Amino acid sequence: MAVDKQKALLFGAAAAVRLLLFTAFPSLPNLLTGRVEISTPVTSFKRLQEGVFLYTHNVSPYDGGVFHQAPLLLPLFSLLPNPASHPFATNLLYTIVDLLGANALMQIAETGQSVSSRLFTSSRKDLRWSTIAVGASFLFNPFTVATCIARPTSALTNFFLLTSIAKAAQGASVTCILALSFASYLSLHPILLFPPLLLLCYDVRVTKSKRSLNPLAFSLSHIFGLVIALALLLYLSTLLTGSWEFLAATYGVRLLLPDLTPNVGLWWYFFIEMFDSFREFFLGVFWLHMASYVGGLSFRLRRQPLFVVSSLLGIFAIFQPYPSIADSALYLALVPLYRHIFPLMRYSFLAASTLFYTSFLGPAFYYLWIYAGSGNANFFYAITLVWSLGLSVIVGDSLYAALRDEWEVERPEMHGKEIRRI
Amino acid sequence: MSLAASILAFRRDGRILKLPPYLSALCILVGVVWLLVLPLNEYSRNTYVSENALLPGQVHTYFTGSEHNIFRAYRHEVAALVDKPLDERTRRLGDILRSSGLKVSTQKYEYSSSGRIISGQNVYAILQGPRADATEAIVLVGAWTNMDGEVNHSGVALVLTLARYFKRWSLWSKDIIFLISGDSTTGPQAWVDAYHDSHSPASIEPLSIKSGALQGAIAIDYPAGPWGHRFDKLHIVYDGVNGQLPNLDLFNTAVSIASGQMGIGCTLQRMWKHDDSYQERLQTMLRGMINQGLGHASGPHSSFIPYHVDAITLQTVGDGWHDEMSLGRTVESLFRSLNNLLEHLHQSFFFYLLMQANRFVSIGTYLPSAMLIAVNFTITSIALWVQSGRARKEPTPASTDRKISEKSDMTVVKMDSMVAIVPEPIIAIVERKLFLPLAFVSSAHFLGLLPLYIFNNAPQGALEACFYLTGLLTISLPYLAAFTLSFFRRPSTQETTLIQCFSLLLLGMFLSALATLNFSLSFLVGLFAAPLTFVRPIMPARRSNEKVVGLNLVNPIVVIMIATRYWGADVVNVLVQAAEGWHVWGMWTQVVVWLVWWPAWFAGAVVVAGTLFSNDATETKEA
Repeated sequence: MAVDKQKALLFGAAAAVRLLLFTAFPSLPNLLTGRVEISTPVTSFKRLQEGVFLYTHNVSPYDGGVFHQAPLLLPLFSLLPNPASHPFATNLLYTIVDLLGANALMQIAETGQSVSSRLFTSSRKDLRWSTIAVGASFLFNPFTVATCIARPTSALTNFFLLTSIAKAAQGASVTCILALSFASYLSLHPILLFPPLLLLCYDVRVTKSKRSLNPLAFSLSHIFGLVIALALLLYLSTLLTGSWEFLAATYGVRLLLPDLTPNVGLWWYFFIEMFDSFREFFLGVFWLHMASYVGGLSFRLRRQPLFVVSSLLGIFAIFQPYPSIADSALYLALVPLYRHIFPLMRYSFLAASTLFYTSFLGPAFYYLWIYAGSGNANFFYAITLVWSLGLSVIVGDSLYAALRDEWEVERPEMHGKEIRRI
Repeated sequence: MSLAASILAFRRDGRILKLPPYLSALCILVGVVWLLVLPLNEYSRNTYVSENALLPGQVHTYFTGSEHNIFRAYRHEVAALVDKPLDERTRRLGDILRSSGLKVSTQKYEYSSSGRIISGQNVYAILQGPRADATEAIVLVGAWTNMDGEVNHSGVALVLTLARYFKRWSLWSKDIIFLISGDSTTGPQAWVDAYHDSHSPASIEPLSIKSGALQGAIAIDYPAGPWGHRFDKLHIVYDGVNGQLPNLDLFNTAVSIASGQMGIGCTLQRMWKHDDSYQERLQTMLRGMINQGLGHASGPHSSFIPYHVDAITLQTVGDGWHDEMSLGRTVESLFRSLNNLLEHLHQSFFFYLLMQANRFVSIGTYLPSAMLIAVNFTITSIALWVQSGRARKEPTPASTDRKISEKSDMTVVKMDSMVAIVPEPIIAIVERKLFLPLAFVSSAHFLGLLPLYIFNNAPQGALEACFYLTGLLTISLPYLAAFTLSFFRRPSTQETTLIQCFSLLLLGMFLSALATLNFSLSFLVGLFAAPLTFVRPIMPARRSNEKVVGLNLVNPIVVIMIATRYWGADVVNVLVQAAEGWHVWGMWTQVVVWLVWWPAWFAGAVVVAGTLFSNDATETKEA
């Protein structure tokens, strides 16, 4: 009962902060929507408005070459009143999406999958933050708040991803697959999370039913479910837009990167500088690089599938073609679940300071480049490199800590000792 | 491998924790010395014009002879308008410009700040360049009153004469806009805002005629009365709002034309006498830095710079033998150079410190000094973070004893490799309690919003009271905060350390980001905040007085008070100017003061005062 009261208080406070920011600073949403750090060409709320406008005027939303988001978002946002004149409904929607995401995150924390899964129980499993603290660290993370205020559609993706992970951690296969297919439908790369989520779901189901399931049948049925759900979504989209052209405009753009608007990621600068003849090759390399982590991490950390999921989210936040701080916010939301490995992490202060510094230097350098005209693209790109470095230090360091934690379960006598590479 | 191992072993060395304060001090020292050596020949460079198209001083100027009579006539016209009502003045100036065959328009504007209403009218005329396609324009500004409030008689008359004179030339390949603004700061701001459609339409009139993208602007400040005054030198003012500077090429062109072609000496930063000695170079540079750090508008040109329009003001100073025609020819030659531009000025530097009219240092040379100052905070904060993670040492005063005991502990650990023992306190990382420090530091920064709001919006009459009240509160607040904290839950030593750690981390972060935008402000704030690196919680009843007094001397309010006293400025006037800057020019110096400097000082003062209210005398910490 006490927890429920705390939860209501937390959600109330988080909603109040968001709605207050929306109403007290009416120009803030538009300001943040224009920031390249938050809005990418494939998630921007401004572009969504353009798409909705074309859609409501019976023009194909993909004609202008501006809109690159999933078609099913259009009827949803055309139902809402025009955000330019009546923003409240949209604001409320995004606030609720954030709260539901936090709710899913707290469900993940409640399952305790992060400290003890079917095959592995950490020796530090008592060192945990309460679900309220985990939820609060997501809801009051400035990156999450900024994302919510700027209203990119990545907020929806984040919500579906969190729901999918939560349902997998509870062993609810159907909801998990549905949420994952929604997330993948909206932004493509979440489909890479399918293998670790399948493992997580399998582990939980086996633990719950206390008997072994046939892994092959389990995975086949889930793959089948995912294919059906995605096919259904794509078919609905075709019905809605009347053709398959949305595939090229949405997933095609994410895969082939025709829009090189700056963002916090590593792709845009690289592909601006590149000779066109190498473009296809490096597109393949970049995608392959990002996808290759899925297999490796799933194998190596087979005993902690939830950790694989969260590390992959960190890797996506660094290496996907159009990342934004919304992706980093999602990753940073899952990190507090691993409170028990914090003592083993070696560079937490360094990484946190790097993220802090870059989140101030980034906008400063962008200003110098775009507005003051006294800097150039290298300024901003240098900072995005450092930002990615900070995130990858967290990912790498937490991987080290998780492996060390596993190792200490195997060899309890090495607990608290310095290790030495031989 | 062995290197890594020895580095790891070195990490545990007690001496390494003693190092950061010295390292920080070294950073500050090197940062300051770095700045001091810049005026030397070895570290600064002679200026040069890097944009080929400018060709300064390569044209013959024809602004002589009969134009002088016209100028004198206009000067009397202007003098006759001084006591006339605003509307009549505007109409008459418009008529004069119209009689030269130009398109004329006017603009009314009104701003309110500190309970005052600032209003006025701009008149401007557009000369459509005979070879131009109305995509680019350059601006000649003559403010009706200059920065000191004097009527700019000859300056306005010169703009009117040059408008008539330029109209007869067929070689302009850019439009030329002649702007006679109501005053030196708000008028040009209203005009340039409206030119770029970013004005607030409620109080500022939009412009009815416009031309193309502005490529540059030159303002003339020549307040000689109706009977003229021969001047000695040209004072070139180049500081923009928020410390932004025009492209160095524009400044160089003006200097090279004035001194090379016309033989008029150039001076800057109010250095009327400059014989190129080290002291004078340094003084010029420091004056430039203070102007840049304050971020205020220094002339009619300042408002143009935020829009990426390079602009300078030419101000006449002294008694000499140069007359208005030399100034007119200088402006003519300058406009001919700007007329040659093929693209926006971009070749030369946007970040520089000038130490004489033809000597400068560029950002690559001077930036490290501000960065070093900013880095000193980061170093200390990292050290404090590490320190907060160590278990509290048993108070053994003599360092040699402790070293021996540490060594014996280490050996025990290494030999007993088979037993999982609890490691000794030097190795062990204590869990840090982050909540209170994080909450405190962020609320301190939010608290800064309060004075920011008050000073920007209080009416003029209340400003003085507000200022002294804020000063009083600032001095007493750390003790109140420390007392309140001790009343509820006294922060532990670790939490106090972490408060300082986070506060310095934020300070270092803000200052290093700021150094790229406004080097001087970052440097000055960093210098004044430098003592915060070295403060540590005082032990009750032990040399507390000097520390508290010393810390209060670098309190932002006290610094502002002393600085205004030193330069003989009035505090209220400064505050009114600052509020005007906030509302009119978009100046954000006060944001830095209240949201960066003030919270850092506050956190530092709370750290110092924190232990005053504890009875626990054993709670000690060594700096």
